[in-house]
Formats: sequence, C-alpha cells, structure tokens
Amino acid sequence: MDQANLFGMEPILKIEDLVVEYRTREFGQRVRIAVNRLSLEVFPGEVFGFLGPNGAGKTTTMNVLLGFVPATRGAAYVFNVNVRDPIARQRIGYLPELTYYYKFLTAEELLRFYARIFRIPRAEVGPRVDEVLKLVELDAARKRPIKTYSKGMQQRVGLAQALINNPDLLILDEPTSGLDPIGRMKVREIIQRLKQTGKTVFFSSHELGEVETVCDRVAILYQGELKAIGRVSELVEKYECNLEQAFLKVVGYNSER
Amino acid sequence: MNNALAVASVVVKELYRRKDFYVLFVLTAVITLLMGALNFFNDDKIVRYLKEICLLLIWISALVIAVGTSARQIPSERENRTVFPLLAKPITRGQLIAGKFLGCWLACGLALIVFYLFFGVISVSREHQLPMASYFQALWLHWWMLGVVVAMALLGSVLFAAPSSNATICLLLILGILLLGRHLNKVAVQLAEPMSTVVYVVYFAVPHLELFDVRDLVVHNWDPINWLICVGATFYAAAYAVFFLFAAWLVFRRQPLV
Amino acid sequence: MPAPSLILALLFVVCFTLATWLQPWHQSWAGGRAQSSSLLDIVMGDSQQLFANHFFTKADVYFHSGYYPSVFDQAIGGAPHMTAAKDAATEHGPEHAEETGFLGRPRDWIDRFSRNLYPSRHSHLDSPGEAREILPWLRIAADLDPHKVETYTVAAYWLRQHLNKVDEAEQFLRAGWRANPDSYEILFELGRVFDENRGDFQRASNVWELAVRKWHERSARNGKQDDFILEQTLTHLAQLEEREGYWEKAIAYLEKLKAFSPHPNVIQQHIEELKRKAVAPSVPNNSVSPQAGKR
Ligand SMILES: Nc1ncnc2c1ncn2[C@@H]1O[C@H](COP(=O)(O)OP(=O)(O)OP(=O)(O)O)[C@@H](O)[C@H]1O
Ligand SMILES: [Mg+2]
Repeated sequence: MDQANLFGMEPILKIEDLVVEYRTREFGQRVRIAVNRLSLEVFPGEVFGFLGPNGAGKTTTMNVLLGFVPATRGAAYVFNVNVRDPIARQRIGYLPELTYYYKFLTAEELLRFYARIFRIPRAEVGPRVDEVLKLVELDAARKRPIKTYSKGMQQRVGLAQALINNPDLLILDEPTSGLDPIGRMKVREIIQRLKQTGKTVFFSSHELGEVETVCDRVAILYQGELKAIGRVSELVEKYECNLEQAFLKVVGYNSER
Repeated sequence: MNNALAVASVVVKELYRRKDFYVLFVLTAVITLLMGALNFFNDDKIVRYLKEICLLLIWISALVIAVGTSARQIPSERENRTVFPLLAKPITRGQLIAGKFLGCWLACGLALIVFYLFFGVISVSREHQLPMASYFQALWLHWWMLGVVVAMALLGSVLFAAPSSNATICLLLILGILLLGRHLNKVAVQLAEPMSTVVYVVYFAVPHLELFDVRDLVVHNWDPINWLICVGATFYAAAYAVFFLFAAWLVFRRQPLV
Repeated sequence: MPAPSLILALLFVVCFTLATWLQPWHQSWAGGRAQSSSLLDIVMGDSQQLFANHFFTKADVYFHSGYYPSVFDQAIGGAPHMTAAKDAATEHGPEHAEETGFLGRPRDWIDRFSRNLYPSRHSHLDSPGEAREILPWLRIAADLDPHKVETYTVAAYWLRQHLNKVDEAEQFLRAGWRANPDSYEILFELGRVFDENRGDFQRASNVWELAVRKWHERSARNGKQDDFILEQTLTHLAQLEEREGYWEKAIAYLEKLKAFSPHPNVIQQHIEELKRKAVAPSVPNNSVSPQAGKR
C-alpha cells in the first residue's frame, strides 16, 4: 500500500484535535491533561502501532474511541460515525488492557453472550465461537469457568471476544501483555492474517520489535501529545537508527549520546 | 430489548451459580421446619404462627437477595472492568441498566417461586387447604415490590461508589418504608407546622412498598384481594420502578467509566 | 490431603462430644423452663418482658385475624382492646362495641387504597377450634416472662372453654402458679378448671379460698388489688356452696362480697333468700360429706 493510495481513501478512524482532561478527586480539583490536541487518521487495511511510554495517554485515547470517557474538546469518528453513537461499535473489536471477564461464565458462554449482543444469527454463532476459540487455542478449556483460567488464558479470552464479530477495525490495548513467547508470536500471526483479509488494526504496545515487524505506520505519543507519526521505515530513516532508538529519541531519553 | 435480555440472562446465571440463594433458602426451610416441630399444648393443627414465621423469613431473604444482587451489579462490572469489553459492543448504557434490572428482577422472581412453593407445602401439610388465589396474589405483589427495590438499588449503585454502603442505605430505606410508610400521614397530623408538611411530602413521595405486604391477609386466611386492586398495585409498582430506572439511566448515561 | 481431613475428622469428633455433653444440660433447661429461665435472663436481660408483652399482644392480634391498631393508630385513636381475663368472666360482653373500628375514615388515596391490602375489618376467631392459633404466642410470652400472670389465665380460658383441652389448661395454670405462688388470678382460674371441667368441688373451693387469702395478703402488702377478681372468686365460692347446700358458708361469702360490691342490696336480697332456705330444713342432694373436705 503506498502513500497515494492511503490518502486517497476515507479514514476508518479519525481523531480531531482531541483533548481529554481528568479531574483528580483531591483537594483543589486539579485538572490533569491526559491527551492534548491529538489528531490522527487511520486508513482501512492498515496496521497502526500506537506507541508511548507509560502514562502517555494511549489507553485514554482508546477509551474515548469506545465512548467510555467523554472528550473534553475535539472529536473522534470511527467509520465516519461519532464515537458517542453506539452504532459505531458494531464493527469494532476491542481488547482492553487489563480485564477480567465474568468469572462465573465459561469461555464459550461468554462468547455466545457477546455474539448475541452483536446480533450474530443463531446458526452462525456456533461455528464462529468454535473458530475464534481454535484461533486463540482455548478449545480445551472452553467448558471451564473463566475463574479457573491463568492470566495468559484470560488474555486469550479477551482476544477471542475481540474477534467474535469478525470486526473490520480492531482496537487492541497491549494485546501481547501477559503472553508467553509462543502466545506473542501467535498474536503477531493473527494480526498479520487479519491484515491479509483487509482488516484494520489499531494497537498499542511496548514491544517495539513486534511493532517493527507488523506495523505499517506508527504514532508516538508522549505526555498526551503526538510526537511523531509515519511509516516505520520513514522514522528509521529520519532518526538513522532502529525503531527502539528512534522511540527513545522522540520521548527525549538520551542515555548514550 | 435483545441486548437487555442478553445482559439479563448473564445476571440470572450469576445468581444461580452463586451460593447466596441456596444458603438463604436452606436457612429459611430449616428455621421453618424447626419452628414447625415445636409442640404447643399438644395441638398439631396450629398453623398461622408457622405461616407468619415462614413468610417473614421469605421476605427477609427476598430483600437480601434483591438488594444484594442489584446493588452489586454495576459497581462490580466497573471494578472487574467487565464493563469495558461489554460497552465496546453495540449496546447502550440504557440497555445495560435495563438488562441489569430485568436480570435481577427475574432472578428474584425465580427465587420467590421456589420460596412460595415451600410455603405452600408447609401450609398445606397443616391446613389441608390451598387458597391458590391468595397465594398467587401474595407472590405477584411481592415480586412487583422487589421490582421497585431492584430499581432503587440500581439507582443507588450508580450514585454511590461503594456497593456495601449502597446496600446498607437501600436496606435501611426499605425497612423504614415497610415499617413506617403507612403511618407517616398519622405522624404528620401530630407534628407542628413546618415538619408536618415535610412529613406529608415524604409520605406522598416515597414508594409505598408496604402496600405490597399482604402477609397478614395470607396468614389469617382472609379472602383474596379484589383483582382490580392487584392490577392497580402492579401499575403503582411499575411506575416507581420505571422512575428509578430512568433516574439511574440519567446518572449513568454521562458518567465517565474510569 | 490427609492432614486437613484428619483435622476435619478431629473437629467433627470434638463437636460430637460437645453435643452429647451438652444434651442433658439442654434437656434440663428445656424441661423446666418455667423455673430456670436463667439462660434467657442472661441473653436478653430486661428486654425479655418487652418481648413477652409483644407476644402477648400478638396473641390478641391473631385473635382479631390481624386487624389491630398499630402504635400510631393508638396514639391517635385510643387504646386497643384485649382479650384479657375479663372476657373469660364476662363471656363476650361489651367488646363488640369496638366494631366501629380504630381506622376511621381514610385520610388520603394511599390510605384508602392500602386498606384493601391488609386486614381492615373487625373479625374474631369464631369458628370452632380456630382460637388455637393464638396459643403459640401465649406460650412464648410465658417462656419469656413467666411472671406475667395474664398469659396463663388467658391461655387457660381458651384452652378450656373453646378448645376442649382441660388437661393442658390445668398444666399451664399449674406452671404459672409455680412461677407466681402469690397470684390469686391464677388460683381463680385453676378453681374454675376444677369446678366447671372436673366437677371436683372440693379442690375448687380449696383453691378459691386460697385465692381469697392471697388477695388479702397482697392487698396488705402491695396496696389495693383488683376488686374484680375477688368479687368473682367470692361469687363463685358462694354459688358453689349454695349449689352444694351449705347455706351458712354461702351466706358468709356473700356477706364478704357485699362489703365492696357495687350492688349491695341485690346481694342482701340474695342473702335473705338463702337465710329463708337455711331455716327450712332441706337435705343437701349431694352425698359428699361437706365438713370433711373443708379446711
Ligand atoms: N481515571 C483517571 N483519573 C485521573 N487521571 C487518570 C485516570 N486515568 C488515567 N489518568 C492519567 O492520564 C494519563 C494517561 O493515562 P493512560 O492510562 O492513558 O496511559 P497509557 O499511555 O495507557 O499508559 P500505559 O502504557 O502505562 O498503559 C496518566 O498520567 C494517568 O495518570
Ligand atoms: Mg495503557
């Protein structure tokens, strides 16, 4: 996919001048700005890496995209629909960064529940659930309550539920955290496969090596502000080093030089 | 509606996979049976005290179940962060509230059916008669009262952060209404002016949950209530439940989740 | 897991031993609850009497099938009426006058509506045997406060008069007497059991005489007592003696009765009548030797 093609398309995800403020519930009502004037576009078919150190505002941005947190200023659109409208979420798959699912349900029940909310026709639910469970390799544990799962297994459940509606846009918040090396590789494979079927993936990560291998474009956020955006190759060229060092430079961390 | 029902089914599943209900039911049954084993003047036809005790236990258990489950729903969704993957799907917050309400209310209904079946068995075993109409009315009105209670607890759970304090406040409020609600107008008459009006306003504003408490009629084998009155009471409960749910939605609609 | 299961087994054994060890103690407690309410005393203290009163009232509520004024109604409308021992003597006298109801006219629509949903008509447990429903509460009231005399007299009245349970009535009264040896009220009721149900005139008159003595003792000790019971006791005694043909005895009781009766001339008339009978030599139709039994 080249530049011209990219910009000729309608963006699938658009963030315009987004500002998010949190009111801390302390004396004095300090307002802290988590995201500051962020503008961003993601195009169909892209795998977009959303990078930044801890506390940069990645999760906050995603929370706005899903309507959990209202934007203080600015707006965000998915599929050209304002994110405040729940219809916008019909074709999104979302994996939160830390989540526990209903512990008393089994993985299969959980997926069936979510499938029902997506109004997937009854006949398709069974095969769909089988498919995603196989994909995340939870087939063996599907009849066990989620409270008996390990952390990595719960993360896989998360991935499975993000894929249940065969979404066109995936928003994944640190999808590989808590997974073993084989699991990480699997996730990378899944992302690549999704890309091949024309899906768009918007994900945050701290694993720069993995970002380098799967992403078309990346954005680097620092203290709520967008510091760099572009193709991985462009960034590497511009800073004349690998992505990790480029990242460190962008966030102003200079240890060696 | 589909979304609300999906959420409701998860709530019902949760209730029957937790142990609370079974514990309360067994406790009710054991206490009732123990009380039934008492011997009063060698008369084994005495039944009304037993019916009263059984119904009292049923009322307490049902309130505990209703307030306990509904006060916990939304706070635990937020605390366990299950609300995020859920609301990331095409479901509105209104549907979430409606689903939670339906789930808790249906679960309470199921629990009530079990409890009242037990009550029926106890009373038939002593009395050899089964006033079906009265028992059904008692169950029906009880269920609708729980609808108001569940809606109230849901509203509380989006207003107050801690589920335990919410549950305590709700239970106190409900007990207050059940014990005093009917008499507030008489209290108002005896108070001096500014307070009198205040109490009157409270009297007309609170949901009169005690209306739905027809235990005395059942215990003492009064005739069934006029069905029109039952219908009226049902609408009364529905109005308050809808009011509380609407208020809960208004609060929850714009609440940031993190 | 052998260790936890061992501990569990051990705990079970401990519980079992404890249970068997406590059982005789419990039995003695449950058996003679009237004298040894000490455990209840410790647990509940003074609130026992409060609860006893509550349950005693509960019996009255049951007698009215749940139609009963709450404290709020009482604050506005006056006291509730009791199925107390008074009923026992007057046999459903003036209490029906209360049927106008304490509720009054509905104050507002909620009030009007709610009256369909709780007992709001006057009603008594009239059909045969229904009165048994009040018994459990009386029993509990007696267990909680064995010194509440009314509990025994009311329960005995219903047991004897309406439920045909004379043995139970006597037993309960005796238990009450043990707890309250000075109660002339209980003695009066006990006398009625002997007189009306057992046909044992001897014991009836003994018990009633004792009741009269107790009444005077208590009057001397604690100030004026309830005239009503004394009047009743003396009347019953006089009637008993008259029935048996001991005119002098009967006259003696009537003389005592006259002293404080509200209708002394009625009694005087009766005395005159008896005196006339006494002069005319009539043989008592009963073969029991009267003098032997009298103390
Ligand atoms: N509920 C909240 N109330 C107040 N401040 C918050 C809240 N949530 C996040 N913040 C603040 O907003 C900023 C951005 O947080 P965010 O969670 O978006 O970071 P992140 O980029 O996801 O970090 P990480 O890599 O650690 O996940 C942080 O400074 C954080 O302290
Ligand atoms: Mg984050």
